[in-house]
This record gives sequence, C-alpha cells and structure tokens, in this order.
Amino acid sequence: MGKAKIGLRSAAVVSLAAMALAACGGGSSGGSSGKSGNTPAGQPVKGGTLTMLSLNQEFTDLDPQRAYTGEDIAFLNAYMTRSLTAFKVSRDPKEQGTLVPDMATDTGTPANGGKDWSFTLRDGMKWEDGSPVTCEDVKYGVSRTFATDVITGGPTYAIQYLDIPSAKDGSSVYKGPYTTKGNDTAAYDKAVVCEGNKITFHLAKPVGDFNYTVTLGMGAVPKAADTAEKYTKKIVSNGPYKIQAYTKGNQMVLVRNENWSKDSDSYRPAYPDKIVVKFGLDQSVIDQRMIRDSGADQQAFMRESLLSSDLATVFNDPRYESRRVTNFSPYVIYRVINVEKVPDLKQRQAIAVAMDRAQLRQILGGKFAGDIADGVIKPNLAQDYAPSGMWTGLLGKTIPDSGDPEYAKQLIKDSGKPMPTITYSYSQNPDADKGAASIKSSLEKAGMKVKLNPIEASAYYTTIFDKSRATELMANGWGPDWPNASTVIPPLFTLKGGWDVGLVNDKAYNEKVAAALSETDRAKQATMWQDLNKEAMQQAWVVPTLFENDQRLAGSKVKSASGQNGQLYIGGSAGNWPYNDMYVQK
Amino acid sequence: MGAYIIRRLIAMAGMLVTLSVIVFLLFSVLPADPARLVCGKSCTPSIIKAINHKFGYDQPLAVQYKEFVQGIFVGRTYGEGKAAFDCHVPCLGYSFLRNEDVTTLIKDTLPITAQLALGGFVLWILVGVSIGIVAALKRGKWQDRTIMGAALVGYSFPSFFIALLLIFFVQIKFAVLGFHSYTSFFDSPAEWFKALVLPWIAVAMLYAAFYSRLTRNQMLETLGEDYIRTARAKGLRERTVIGKHGLRAGLTPIVTAAGLDLAGLLGGALIIEQVFALPGLGRLSVDSVTTSDLPVITGTVMVAAFFIILANLVVDLLYAVIDPRVRLA
Amino acid sequence: MSLASDHAVEATSTSAESAEIAGRSLTQIAWRRLRRDKVAMTSLLVVLVIVSIAALAPVITRLVGVDPSSFNDKAVSDAGGLPLGRLGGVSLAHPLGVEPGTGRDLFARLLYGSRISLLIALSATLITVTLGVSVGIVAGYSRGWLDSALGRLMDVILAFPLILILLALSNVLTQRLETTFHLGELVARVLYLILVLSLFGWPYLARIVRGQVLSLREREFVESAVSMGAGTPRILFREILPNLWAPILVYATLLLPTYIAAEAALSYLGVGLVPPTPSWGAMLADSVRYFAVDPAFLFIPGTYLFVVVLAFNLLGDAVRDALDPRAGRA
Repeated sequence: MGKAKIGLRSAAVVSLAAMALAACGGGSSGGSSGKSGNTPAGQPVKGGTLTMLSLNQEFTDLDPQRAYTGEDIAFLNAYMTRSLTAFKVSRDPKEQGTLVPDMATDTGTPANGGKDWSFTLRDGMKWEDGSPVTCEDVKYGVSRTFATDVITGGPTYAIQYLDIPSAKDGSSVYKGPYTTKGNDTAAYDKAVVCEGNKITFHLAKPVGDFNYTVTLGMGAVPKAADTAEKYTKKIVSNGPYKIQAYTKGNQMVLVRNENWSKDSDSYRPAYPDKIVVKFGLDQSVIDQRMIRDSGADQQAFMRESLLSSDLATVFNDPRYESRRVTNFSPYVIYRVINVEKVPDLKQRQAIAVAMDRAQLRQILGGKFAGDIADGVIKPNLAQDYAPSGMWTGLLGKTIPDSGDPEYAKQLIKDSGKPMPTITYSYSQNPDADKGAASIKSSLEKAGMKVKLNPIEASAYYTTIFDKSRATELMANGWGPDWPNASTVIPPLFTLKGGWDVGLVNDKAYNEKVAAALSETDRAKQATMWQDLNKEAMQQAWVVPTLFENDQRLAGSKVKSASGQNGQLYIGGSAGNWPYNDMYVQK
Repeated sequence: MGAYIIRRLIAMAGMLVTLSVIVFLLFSVLPADPARLVCGKSCTPSIIKAINHKFGYDQPLAVQYKEFVQGIFVGRTYGEGKAAFDCHVPCLGYSFLRNEDVTTLIKDTLPITAQLALGGFVLWILVGVSIGIVAALKRGKWQDRTIMGAALVGYSFPSFFIALLLIFFVQIKFAVLGFHSYTSFFDSPAEWFKALVLPWIAVAMLYAAFYSRLTRNQMLETLGEDYIRTARAKGLRERTVIGKHGLRAGLTPIVTAAGLDLAGLLGGALIIEQVFALPGLGRLSVDSVTTSDLPVITGTVMVAAFFIILANLVVDLLYAVIDPRVRLA
Repeated sequence: MSLASDHAVEATSTSAESAEIAGRSLTQIAWRRLRRDKVAMTSLLVVLVIVSIAALAPVITRLVGVDPSSFNDKAVSDAGGLPLGRLGGVSLAHPLGVEPGTGRDLFARLLYGSRISLLIALSATLITVTLGVSVGIVAGYSRGWLDSALGRLMDVILAFPLILILLALSNVLTQRLETTFHLGELVARVLYLILVLSLFGWPYLARIVRGQVLSLREREFVESAVSMGAGTPRILFREILPNLWAPILVYATLLLPTYIAAEAALSYLGVGLVPPTPSWGAMLADSVRYFAVDPAFLFIPGTYLFVVVLAFNLLGDAVRDALDPRAGRA
C-alpha cells in the first residue's frame, strides 16, 4: 500500500505499480553458474559494472523489515540483505518456487506439528564492518517488525504468526525494541529463542510453510547500527556488496563488501565488481536507451517494464530477440465489486458480463499486455491455478471477450430490482482514464448508469479502503507474496485478510478459507484454492480482466548464468530479474 | 539606505510568517491521513494512531504550526524512546514517506535546480537582451521584424511542448546527443554538460523571446527621451549613447523581470525538470504532490515563496542603484 | 516555473504606463490602425475561426462523421495498440489520425478539447479582469490604510508558487466544490481551474490599474467631478474606469493565451479533467511515451495548441500597438 512510487507520466508502469502494490516474493537467484542451464554458452565472468536504470526516485525501503516490493526485495536480497532461506535461482518456473538455504544451513526444521521452526546459522558470516552475523542479529531484526509506528509499510507476518499474546486493543503486547513503556519484552524472548547458532520461532498456530515466510521481512539487523526510522536509507550489508554512495533521485553505487566471503555463502556467485542504479529517469528515455544499446548502456538493464507504446518496436524485430524478455508479471488486474453496494448476485454478474475485457486489454497494449483473466489466481502460480470457467459457462453462458450487453440486460431484468448507478473509482493515469472510458461505455451498452471517479494515485487506496468513500466498482490488482494462493485468496476475500476492498464477508466462505489455510497437504490445499477461486468468480465479487505480462529489455552485455545460453529472464513469484547471477559479458 | 534595507527585511519576515500561516491553513484541508499512506498492507487503527501521534498529526493545527516554527529555529525531535531522532535547525519537517528531513531533501535538490536556472538565465539574458538591442537599433527594418516575429513564436510555445520537441529532434530523430542523466560536475564535467544543455536551451528559449521584446521596447522608449537626444547632440559616440545612457536607463524593468523570473525558476522549474527528468526542487515538489507528502509540499512551497520575496527585495535595491531617479519610499 | 503571466504583465505595464489615456476618438484611431495591420487582421481571423470551431465542435464532428469518445479497435494494431497507417492513422475516416490504444478520433478530441480550454481561459480572464480592475481602482483611489492593506494582500498572493499550489490542492478542492455545490465532477474541476487561475492572477492587473488610477485622480476632470460633489462610486466607475479600458484590453488579450497554456500545462502535470472529456494537456502528457513510435500524436495536438496561443498573442500584440503606437512595430 502506497509502496509503489508513482511517476506522473509513465503510465504503463504506473498502472502496474499503482495497482499492484506490494507483491512480494523472495529473492530470486541462487544456484551457482550454469547449474540449471543446460548449455551455458556464455560462461559467467567476474568483474565489470552492472547498471540498472529506474524511473523510481529511490528505493522506497532498504530496511529488510520494511521492503515490500518484490523487485526490490529480490535486488536487496541478492546483493546486501541475506535471509534465512531463499528461492532457488532458476529459469524453470517449477524450480523458482523451491527453497534453498541462505543464512541457515538448511531450509528449516519444523517441530511440534509445525508450531516450532528452527534454523541453524552458517559460520563465518560477517557484516560489512567485519563483525560477525549472529543469531541475536536475526532475532533483533525480526523484533523490529513489532515497532509498528517506526518500522512501517513492511510485511507483518512475524506479528501474525509468532506466539505472543495480544493486548486489549488487538495489538501485540510486544511493541518492538525501541520502547520500554508498557512493553512485554519477555513475551518476545519466549517466542524467539537463540541457542548458540540456532534460532527457534515458536508460533501460535501450525504454519506449514513458515520457512517461506522467513524470506519476507525477517532479515538480520545489527542492533548497534540500527538507526530505527532512518535505517531504511542506510543499511549495513551482510551480502557481497555494500553501498558506496547513494544520492536519492540520482544514483546508488554498490561496491564489493570485502568482509563477505564466498565460504559463508553458497547462494551468491557475486559476478560484477560494481553495481550502479540510476534513479529518476523517464521510462520512455530508458526504453530508447535500451533499444539503442550503445556504449555503456550495453551493460545496463531496466528495472521497470517497457512502455506499452514501445512493445511493438521491440517484439516485432528479431534484432532484440536475445535482449528482450517477456513473462507473466505477478499481478492479476481486476475490478472489485462492492458487495455492500451491489448485494444482488445477478446484478454483480451483469457487471462482469457487460465489461469489454478485450478493449481493456487493447488499451494496455493488446496481446502484449497479457491474457484475458478468468480468476485471481494466475497460471504462474502453477500449482494453484486451474481455469475457473468464468467466461465459459460459470455465469450461465459463454461470454465473449468483448462482453455480452444483451445477456447483462437479461441478468439485470432477472434480478427483479433496479440497478444502482455504478460509480467506478480508479487511480488516475492516462491509460486508466482510457480504461475508465471503456468501462463506462460498455456498461452503458447494457443499460447501466455509470459515473467515473478518478482518484489521485497516492490517495487511491486510502480512499477506497474508507467505507464511506468506497464506490460500487473499483480498480485493483494483486500479486502473491510467495508461490501459494494462501497469499491471494484470504487477503482478497476475507475481511481479516487485509485487502478485501469489496467488503466480502461470507461466513461459509470464511470457514472454507480457514480450512484451506490449515491444510498441510500441499496438493490438497491447491485443489481447495482452485475451488475457492472458482466460487469467488461465480459470486462475481471481482471481475478479473487481465493476467498481466511484463516485458523488459536489457543491454547486450548483461547476462544471467542460469539463463538459457546466458540469456536474461524474469521469473519467480515476484517476476523479477535473476539479480543473483547476473553478470557482465566481456 | 540602511534604514530602508532594515525596513524591507522586517517586511520580508512578516511576509514569510503570513505565508507560512496561509500554507498551513491551505494544506490542512488536504486529507489528513498521512499515517495511512505509510502504514502499509497490514494496517490497523492502533498503528495509524501511533504514527499520527509520532508526527504530531493528532495535535490541533495551532500546535502543529508552533512546532513547525520551532523546528525552523530550534530544531525538533520526532519519536520516542530509542527510536527518537533529531531534526536539526533549520528543520522544515520530516517526510514520513521518504524517511528524510525535508531540509535535507531540499538541500539535495536545490543545487540542481540552481544550476538549471542559472545556466538558463545566463543564456536567455545574453541572447534575449542582445537580439533585443539589435531589433531596437534596426527598428522597422527586416532584422527587427524577423527578430520580433521569431520572439513572438518562441513566446507562444507552451513550455513542455518546447522541451518535448527538443528531446524529439535532438535525442530521438537525429540522435545528435545521447541520453544523459544528471551527473555532478565534479564527477564528470562532460556528462554534467550533456545532461544540462538541453534543459538550459529549453529554459532559454522560453524566456529569451520575452526578454528580446522587453529589451527592444525599453530601448526604443529611452532612445526617444530628451537626455539621449542631448547626449547625441553633445557629439558622444553612438556606442556610448546606447551602451551607457540608453541601456542603463532602460535596464530597470529588465532587471525587475529577470530577478523575478530567476527567483521563480529557483523555486523549481516544475515542467522542465519533469520532462528532462532532472532531480531538482521542481521534481521534488511534483513528486511530493502526487504522493501527498505533506511536509515536503509545505517545505517546497515555503522555499519557493522565499525566493520570490527575496527577489522582490533584491530587485528593489538594485533599482535604487541603477536608477537614481527611484526614491527609496 | 512561473506561469509566464508575469511576462504579460511586465510587457503590458511598461507600455501601459506610457499609454496615452484614450478618449473616444482614440478608439477610432486605434481601430483604423488595427485594420491596416495585416498580421493583426490575419490573427483576428484565426482567433475567430478557432473560437467558432470550438463552439461548433459537435456540429463539425457530426458532419465529418467522427466523435470524441467512440473506441475503434480496428484503427490500432492488436499488438501494441499503435495506430495503423501513416502519420498516426490519418485517413478519410480519421482526418487527424487516432489515439493509440483506443483508436478514438483525434480530430474530434482536439475540437472538444479546445472547447474546454477556451471556456476555462475565457472565464478565468473575465474574472481576473473584473477582480483586478475593481481592487486596483479601490486601492488606487483610496490610498491610506486600505491601499496598503490591499497592497500587502497582493504581495502575499504574488509570492505563492502558483502551479504548485494548484497541483497540491486540486483534488481536495475539487471534491469540496463537488460536495458543497452538488456539482458534477467535470463542472467542479473546470470551476476549480477557473477560480484558482483567476484568484492567483488578479494582483498583476490590480497593480497596473492602481498605478493608472493614482495618476488619473490628480487630473482635472476628476478634480472637477469631485468639486461638483459627485459621489465616490460615480467618480470611480463613471470618470476613472472609462479611461482605463486601453491597458485593460491589452492586458486581457495577452492574459488569455497565458491561461490557455497554463491550463494545458496543468493537465500535463496531472490536474486533468475527467475522462472521457478530452483536454489538450492530457493528450500531450499521454503522447510523451509515444513520441518515438507515433510522433504525430505529439505533433498534432502540440501544433494546434501552439497555433491557438500564437494567434492570441499576435492579436494582443497588435491591439497594444494600435493603442500605443510608440511601442509599435514600425
């Protein structure tokens, strides 16, 4: 929420960033060179300077407890902030979801039916000042999450999962490391225990995939160097690189961290000597620089996505074949229907049926933009995805991509009630304006009255989460935190989940979600998510419109050791670059 | 003169106070929910309350104003316990979104805007004033018509259109100049120049047009005055007449306009910085507006206003120096 | 960046100071001069054409067979959404091509966009002039504390970075207008732009008018009116105001294009109008990311905006020359 920086004019990126917010994934990366690539034609080489071009003004957060943008987490994890476990670096989508050890010696040991999780730390890990990385550093890092008024905006799984009692107002009795007033530090010390090199987390309930959770917001922080609020701008590295210079809005320079040793890290090959991030560039300029691929830009790559306007240039020309990448982004784009404002099922279905999804996709770049969506679980969540059948009969009929206004009229008539005026709220940018115009005209074709309510990007989520200002129809987007629909279905369709924009609160559904969450058989759990996805679509709580694609372009000398023939790719649940093993070809 | 300056300085301080009160009142109508903005995905009312408390947003407006003013003169402390930190004098507030003092943010961005503004300023004065003089001397001839015609055309270009045209032709169509992002002069003078040259030209084009017209009109007016005729009749050389007498007397409005325009630019060249992606004060302002970063908006508005007020003072003082006819009223 | 309205002011004030206070006969002289000026007449013609095109936009677009809000998926490529055909999809069906992504007709959007822009610029100019003249006269005539109070007020307003304030407050104040007066979003936005442009714009004119009034009130005809026992309102509006129309007219003609450009700049920075209402600035803002692949989308609205502003500037210039031959072209 509010984590995405909003550029004024880079509409394509805004649509993604503003809509999607914090999707999280762990670090991409991993695996030493060539392991997963069959024929590593380009042998990875050490040295050189890798440059990343970004339209953002700065990293929103460097703080391991606060970073909550998938791409940033991947970058930071690959270079500076290690986590207990990490995601395997591989171009194979199935392998991208598997865990490998990072700071820990293995991927964690559950006990007590999944209520206790322990990790043993590796030897020889050091901070950039030469002091050792200890179990206490991890414990201290995790404790910072509890200081909710200081460490803002980050993942809060630690608060949700750890076995620490709640105070009367629902907040945890532990308030983080910065305050002593009315703070139950003992409760935390009981929940997170260090014994030598072994850290144990005691959870309130069994969590089958807690070793995935530790990839998110649970990095170590040395207590002596913690500057609380300000730590997020100047962190201490325990990875292979450290910050040499950082001017917000301009650039960040990372150089080798001499205190990091390969022996203490089997996850990071650390090829380049230097990594430079250039901030605050215009996306159209970034696109042009990458397209041109001249001089130093050959060793550069873009952080965000190509503008939709440049896709035709890049993807219709074989010259770019070895430098361009395309893949699903983590995000599903959908429109939320407020169930309190449109309580009637038939009327909600009418909205879904009337919408011209083809046109909405056309506005974002046609076939490049992505695939027409049929649910909130995306095919790149491989295990949990199954076609929901939303457009092929679930709503009573096959609905063409361009919508079916006649059938929508029929549904409204069948509802037997007058259709409310639909006010469509969206975060404003040029593409979203066009989309809004399209929604207005397609719903009007089905006889509905439509008002448009554009909202300034920064105020968007504040507005739609305010019940008094929420409207009938609202734009939204979501991506999973890690490869499990447990980070999709519960947040979107249960009030407790935190992202239930449409105010769905269905008792039977809540119970099914709870059952799926505590299911430990992953295959069984996947089927449950598939059914819940289908049910949500049948209920028309949301109208999914696009399984969004992400297209990027890199300089000709930027390669990835795990890519096919060294070619770059994007992947993982955050759809990020394989920062970990990217290198500069000589 | 001394008393006059002191009087003006006091008036200036009064203006700044008035302005800051107005800015505070104006922005108090903005949705006062800064906490929600930084609170993140898993936000609860108690977290919002705590954040609001930390930044003082739970206080009445008058108290918030008092703390703001105190921050400027004696600094202030945010947060409690071990997480407390100081914001040093002159503390213009703290951006909860960027986790940075507003003063630091302005210190980082202002020099870039200043380089843009000063470079553009030199260019536009040189070009504008000199072609304005040529036009005046060739009054009614083809040179005059051409210059004035061109000036009017230049004057009619919306600023962002000029900037976009420059990028289109220079960087994309003919690729004369590659794409360069701002680099400090001390890191690489060449890169620095390449990154700034187009913005300078854009600024200069916008203003030179107006200055050539102004200069020409001023020159024509003063050249028609009696004392110029007297000077000529005395047999002074034409260059002396124009340079020493004509230009000097005609300078006053040019100085006024130049001072105010420069001050306006220093407050942030919103559009030019936006189009050329220069990390200056204007970019900071626009970004803070789009992200509802209230403390930064307040800070940048105050700085921009400060420059304008200061420029007014400087211009008035210069008046007195250049044109002795001006009374120090 | 300044709105450049200070430019207009400086340009005017210098000439206005020197302008002879016009009598009736001067009107005729000025008009005769204006009519002899070819550039002036051409720009007047262009201005008239622009205004009538804007007023008649619905009729014209219907005649051409286009409208500003219909999508046309056939006019843009399926892969990338770029206009098919040359020059951004210029064809018989779409005389100026289409908008990327949607295939909406650019000719129609440009015409409808000019309606809104001109409406905003004209209304803001009218309000600015009314406010500026009234305050200027009052300040100039009253002298004393009222004059200095108004003077301080102007100083404060002039010290505000206008665009920044406009940007920062746009959404909130638009919503306030909407809820307070039960307006539609579009009406509220237009109203907001008009109000804020004029509220921050009037002090420039007020200063000029004040200066004029200061010198006028010392003139014989005013003194004689006073001695004949005329009331203040009568003196202000019957004796002084008629003598001010020359600088006011000049100022207004130069202010109008400034406001047109300002409105476009604001839309460019994001204080846009509600879709599907087209606006020049919003079109240009959108065109930025297409300028490498579809330059026509940048050039067509940009050029039209430029021509409109230029025509108004030329006209304003000519009016000034006609009223003040000393600063004249030749």
